[in-house]
Amino acid sequence: MSIAIEPQGPIAAPPPPEPDPVPVNYLNNGYSIWSWLFTVDHKRIGILYLVSISVFFLAGGIAAGIVRLNLLQPDGAIVTEDAYNRAFTAHGVMMLFFFLIPAVPAVFGNFFIPMMIGAKDLAFPKLNLASWYVFMLGAILAIWSVLAGGIDTGWTLYPPYSTRASQSHVIPGVVGVFISGFSSIMTGLNIMVTIHKMRAPGMTWGRLPLFVWALYATSLIQLLATPVVAITLLLIVVERMMGIGIFDPTIGGDPILFQHMFWFYSHPAVYIMILPGMGVISEVLTCFSRKNIFGYHAVAWSSVGIAVVGFLLWAHHMFVAGISFYAALLFSLLSMLVAVPSAIKVFNWTATLYRGSITFHAPMLFALGFVVLFIIGGLTGLFLATLGTDIHLHDTYFVVAHFHFVMVGGMVMGYFAGLHYWWPKMTGRMYSDWWSRLAAIIIIVGFFLTFIPQFYIGYHGMPRRYPNYPHEFQIFNVMSTAGASILGIGYLMPVVYLTLSLFYGKKASANPWSATGLEWQCPSPPSVHNFEKTPVVVCGPYEYAIGVDQMGRGLPEPPGVDDNPARRSGITGPAGPMNKETEVVG
Amino acid sequence: MAEPNTATANDDPHGIRQDVDNPATLILVFVVLIGLALANIGISGAMGPTKLTLPLQLAIASVQAGLVAYYFMHLRQGDKVVILTALSSLFWMGILFVLFLADYLTRHMVVG
Repeated sequence: MSIAIEPQGPIAAPPPPEPDPVPVNYLNNGYSIWSWLFTVDHKRIGILYLVSISVFFLAGGIAAGIVRLNLLQPDGAIVTEDAYNRAFTAHGVMMLFFFLIPAVPAVFGNFFIPMMIGAKDLAFPKLNLASWYVFMLGAILAIWSVLAGGIDTGWTLYPPYSTRASQSHVIPGVVGVFISGFSSIMTGLNIMVTIHKMRAPGMTWGRLPLFVWALYATSLIQLLATPVVAITLLLIVVERMMGIGIFDPTIGGDPILFQHMFWFYSHPAVYIMILPGMGVISEVLTCFSRKNIFGYHAVAWSSVGIAVVGFLLWAHHMFVAGISFYAALLFSLLSMLVAVPSAIKVFNWTATLYRGSITFHAPMLFALGFVVLFIIGGLTGLFLATLGTDIHLHDTYFVVAHFHFVMVGGMVMGYFAGLHYWWPKMTGRMYSDWWSRLAAIIIIVGFFLTFIPQFYIGYHGMPRRYPNYPHEFQIFNVMSTAGASILGIGYLMPVVYLTLSLFYGKKASANPWSATGLEWQCPSPPSVHNFEKTPVVVCGPYEYAIGVDQMGRGLPEPPGVDDNPARRSGITGPAGPMNKETEVVG
Repeated sequence: MAEPNTATANDDPHGIRQDVDNPATLILVFVVLIGLALANIGISGAMGPTKLTLPLQLAIASVQAGLVAYYFMHLRQGDKVVILTALSSLFWMGILFVLFLADYLTRHMVVG
């Protein structure tokens, strides 16, 4: 149904006045190194994570650069075969365990979950700080293993190679990942308890922002799956150090057992990575299309659905590993199921965009990039879930392209969307609108050039993790490396303009995007305890059609298509129903 | 809200004391756990690798895990959400075992 809302003047309360500049915010509340290292403020801990994972993203990116440069020539351009093995393992370990998994939950989850539900902090502030220290301890061990010579097993650490034959630094790397897993559990536990126990008055489950629902589902996976991989990695150490036969068949072990236990975590871990990104996208798409989310409950419950179904399909990674044919059939069928909640999200996002007042600021460009790349990544996943085609495509570059479309095209784009969306709130500064849009476009173009050729060479038989390949694949590898170079430039651009914004950026208003969430009711940057008074929530999280925030107050004028948010000075106009046709949904 | 007027409620208005563990109970549970651990080791030595050994040992280990969860992890005092969370972890473990077994129990079957 579609109705036309006439401009009748504000029906809601007028927009709140710009909060007075707070003399003490979380950033200027102490400048010493100790005020950061011993902080229990969820916002500062979020910033600690942001700095840490940015370093690991850079390190993982350098390893990826070595891999791509080496593949410029069929016989390897720059490193030996052994060094190549260590480079792609370092890339996988760094990116997965120390960037993708903590990226959104530990940075934006820590920073924004309490603000979005109207709380002053997470439920366990000291546990939150402990999680960062545990994460850093694990990360330091993993980095040490890389610097001391690296690991050559691939990030999957399959035995018996990892336990019997590998001459690389498996144990410190494995212990590093094992330790960092506890950090993930702590963060998940903290977020889950906070959502259950600390919601503001009126913040019912049906009024939670979809980012909060996504983080809740993510926390569920973190809590239930991470212990399994932790014990599995510990068993690798036990077998490698003591020679106890657990996975090595020559001493009575079962290597398939490792793969079952590893993927019981590592496939749901894919959803630890992508679900928070999906939550970010729901926030950004609604804000920059000025529309209520289409199908709130469907999107919310699809997050939980993905978390649950994600546990049932791990063995599609093992179709050619020697598992039972009947089990393979079962897992193939179950793998198809996860397409349902994923598709629900995509259809609802698309319906949200339909007839919205879309503006293409940087967060929106990243979010749209997410949707397109995730669709491609998701659809190619169906090829791999299908038993017959997976036999052909298993361990080829098709798989590499598929999971990079989901993880990088999806999750990293979601991360950048969130970073650009919430940066003004986190830092109190606006970044360059033009440069940020350019970076988004460069990243999307670079991404396509990097990974589309990999689908082709993978389908035609180029295996992953091989440093050598037939000459006829060279042109595609050169294209891929060229794309990776563009992608690298695109990723470095935000480092420059976001850093510059800290010093030269215009001060951000409390609500520069005219968004509805509670986090935008705090000053930018937020005060130490977020809210002066506990907010009372009176409506849903995305009431853009009637132009009110979650406290029922009007919204400032949204930024227009040609409006540079960096030039806006706070509230510029009245709130009220927008003079446009709007879709009544749900 | 009316003030509680019983002597017990005034003495412990937030019901904290009833959540505090009794040290004697904890020590008793600890002793039982150690006893079960010793029994497990003893069974291993006495019975050897028979068909019954592993199920029996797993049963003892399950009782131990239950005691730890109920007393030391405070499920005894947990509300419904906490108990539901604990049960959900068992459910998840069930998923792990059932789908594992879907592979292991059918691996020997020949197709066609």
